[in-house]
Amino acid sequence: MGTITDQIKIMTDQTKMPPWYLKDIYRYLSAFGVLTLIYIGFRIYQGAHGISSGLDSTDPAFEIYWMRLFNFNVTFITLFAGLSWGYLWFSRDKNLDTLEPKEEIRRYLTLTMWISVYTFAVYWAGSYFAEQDNSWHQVAIRDTPFTANHIIEFYFNFPMYIILGGCAWIYARTRLPLYAKGISLPLTLAVVGPFMILVSVGFNEWGHTFWFREEFFAAPIHYGFVIGVWFALGVGGILLQGVTRLIELLDEIEDAA
Amino acid sequence: MSSKLSTQTFHHYIGEKARIARAYDYLVLVLALFLFIGSFHLHFALTVGDWDFWVDWKDRQWWPLVTPLIGITFPAAVQAVMWSNFRLPLGATLCVACLSIGTWIARVFAYHYWNFFPINMVMPSTLLPSALVLDVILMMSNSLTITAIFGGSAFALLFYPSNWPIFGMFHLPIEAGNSQLTIADMFGFQYIRTGMPEYLRIIERGTLRTYGQIATPLSAFCSALLCTLMYTLWWHIGHWFATTRYLKKI
Repeated sequence: MGTITDQIKIMTDQTKMPPWYLKDIYRYLSAFGVLTLIYIGFRIYQGAHGISSGLDSTDPAFEIYWMRLFNFNVTFITLFAGLSWGYLWFSRDKNLDTLEPKEEIRRYLTLTMWISVYTFAVYWAGSYFAEQDNSWHQVAIRDTPFTANHIIEFYFNFPMYIILGGCAWIYARTRLPLYAKGISLPLTLAVVGPFMILVSVGFNEWGHTFWFREEFFAAPIHYGFVIGVWFALGVGGILLQGVTRLIELLDEIEDAA
Repeated sequence: MSSKLSTQTFHHYIGEKARIARAYDYLVLVLALFLFIGSFHLHFALTVGDWDFWVDWKDRQWWPLVTPLIGITFPAAVQAVMWSNFRLPLGATLCVACLSIGTWIARVFAYHYWNFFPINMVMPSTLLPSALVLDVILMMSNSLTITAIFGGSAFALLFYPSNWPIFGMFHLPIEAGNSQLTIADMFGFQYIRTGMPEYLRIIERGTLRTYGQIATPLSAFCSALLCTLMYTLWWHIGHWFATTRYLKKI
């Protein structure tokens, strides 16, 4: 049995790696790799210097090992927010009305990758380093808001997932027609709600400074964080919006084939 | 006799559509994994908190009351989306499995390896049997009411017996300093926690303990009642968050 030219073309397209709809897969995997290195690097740094210089904020070594890290984090985060959000805005698609279905499908998959990287940063901020906060504050006397874990959790991890959530929001708004015509409520909830967790740091630190020095995790002082993270459930709505549109687009390319 | 179907009903299968859908599924799976580890774990850690962190907080009164009550929230919300829209009966198990992954990583690397708490002191409890039953009841009944009443109750009632094989040994009585206490209490006294002193430990309070061995079943049934309400509330919260609305302005 012979193989006709059209079949050869389809077979060649199928073996092409990555396929057209996963064009950004290597960038996506690289983002996971870089973030993993950063977060594990932070944990190794804490293990190396936490006990030796992170227990007393009046110790000169604390200034060197921890406050310098705080200053670096704040500077890095500010620059990264400006660069990433700026890049996504200035490279926006100004001809969304003429977008081909195939390209729109690809962009939906890339948006899913952006949200996935966002949730990966949420994992480190909301799971690992959040519980580590409790662990560290059981061995250190809390004599500053800038403890050895807070410097990483509140001033790197929280802003980092907010920036990545903002990237996902801007990507959708500037590159996908439905998100450009209207503002997606679930996507906005999923990004803005967890952003409020960073704002709750203010209430948390105020409370711990003036009212409640201990680290009792289920205390009302932490409920701002809890309510903020409920909004991550907005991802369910993003999924439904994406699936509904993808079904339409897949039918379009199938009909055209 | 066979009926003649219109060929226009069926599209020619070329494979690519399925591959794109499959690729999207995998991306969503990775997304969901980290989303629920991050979000459900933060919610759980800041509400159940110390009752799950420390072995000496795992008492007969508060631990079986608080843990299922908070633990049923995200599972109900995720079931509302996964079952209603995709007929996937795995919302509760997904959430609880993610929670287990997150808590175990944190207990090992944040508590044990960084600050040298013995792993026996900080082992997380499990909600997996409860979650599996909750998913099965939803799948079999396809009913919010039945799942809320029977699934919510089972979620709470199964919690203590499914954790007993893990933590029962720490409830053995010992005598130390002329007092009778448990091995779990001893952990708390030996490994000093600067941020969580003894006066903050909320265990076995009030007069419920005067009922002796009945204290735990009473707490579990109280939790079962509250879980039926909490399940329904969070089912609707899940639906509300899963809106597909687009707004003109924010």
